[in-house]
Amino acid sequence: MEGVIQLQRQLVEYRTSLYNEGFLDDQFIQLQQLQDESNPDFVVEVVSLFFEDSQRLLNELTKALHQQSSDFKRLDAHVHQLKGSSSSIGAQRVQKVCIAFRHYCDEQNTEGCLKCLQQLKSEYSLVKNKLETLFKLEQQVLAAGGSIPM
Amino acid sequence: MDSATENLRGSFLYQLFDSMDLNLESDGNQNEQEQQKRHLHVLAVDDSHIDRKLLERLLTVSSYQVTCVDSGDKALEYLGLLENTDNDSTTSCSSSCCTSSSSLSPQQEASKVNLIMTDYSMPGMSGYDLLKRVKESSWKNVPVVVMSSENVPSRINMCLEGGAEQFLLKPVKLSDLRELQSHILNPLSNSCKHFDDSFVDDNTNNGSHSCKHFDDSFVDDNTNNGNDNNDNDSDKKNNNSNKRKAMSPDCSERRPKITELVVL
Repeated sequence: MEGVIQLQRQLVEYRTSLYNEGFLDDQFIQLQQLQDESNPDFVVEVVSLFFEDSQRLLNELTKALHQQSSDFKRLDAHVHQLKGSSSSIGAQRVQKVCIAFRHYCDEQNTEGCLKCLQQLKSEYSLVKNKLETLFKLEQQVLAAGGSIPM
Repeated sequence: MDSATENLRGSFLYQLFDSMDLNLESDGNQNEQEQQKRHLHVLAVDDSHIDRKLLERLLTVSSYQVTCVDSGDKALEYLGLLENTDNDSTTSCSSSCCTSSSSLSPQQEASKVNLIMTDYSMPGMSGYDLLKRVKESSWKNVPVVVMSSENVPSRINMCLEGGAEQFLLKPVKLSDLRELQSHILNPLSNSCKHFDDSFVDDNTNNGSHSCKHFDDSFVDDNTNNGNDNNDNDSDKKNNNSNKRKAMSPDCSERRPKITELVVL
């Protein structure tokens, strides 16, 4: 039993740190509230969609920015999508970079856009690792016979 | 029959009540509300896969039946409103483009849509375009809620003036749906104070709408986030909660006064 409690504590501490460091915001809590026995994998499913979507959009952005002349409207459309999906799952830091990115698109500032793309990739990679770690910790709690504390 | 009743006869409320066989004189207790909601079928329109999944879950948890489509065109097809097609098209549409939690047949499903929730920014037909098409059709009495991740007052006003029931900021939360449902299910018990000149603050009135004035001094959510180096999170949260719903200042002219509703 001690093992379970320790695992649960570890999970809660880790999760709390993600909120404190701004990786996740309230929206992630909303997602968790939508999960129950009838839909026990809801959060993982939505986050997986986010990973797929983000990877695709980051690839598109990279391609679009390495062309002769950037199509800023198209860039903006991609960033808008990524902003939306990151906001929908509560990936706050990714969302913030998207907001800055859109300003550079408005200004047609290629250098600013390149800088933001770099930042986006880095923030996305961070939040992906964090979420995967979080899910792993949850699995450990469940495997030890415990339940996920809210 | 006076003109107020005339207006109300055609209103979505009557359509809604008709379709729900609702006993208007009964108390709206929790169980009854849940039962009523299970009859309510929502058509959700959003091009984002994530947002569709989210909305579907939000609505299901809130006891609605949901059909999701990924574009305005698919929504029109589902409603039988595409120019070259008739209602038979709903059969093929249901199997190829929609996900639905309803146990009704496609024809039955499409004949009962109680609420449409649509994203604003979609490629091709926008949520606003869809709103206008619906409001010009035989579905004009079905309430349409428009959602957007962007807080643009002119856009919000345009949608409300175009007949949108409400404008919600994304990401949509359970509390947004609770307020929406209390408006659609209990129009009689819902406070109508906000249709008067006094505007009720969102925080002090449980379960009823608030009207917020959007004027030139209103600051766009994006500029706040982009320029704010101090990054005061609680400020932003407060801002967001005030901007969650929006109603046009002219809402009282657009809608029939609920207090004049005749109980049959």
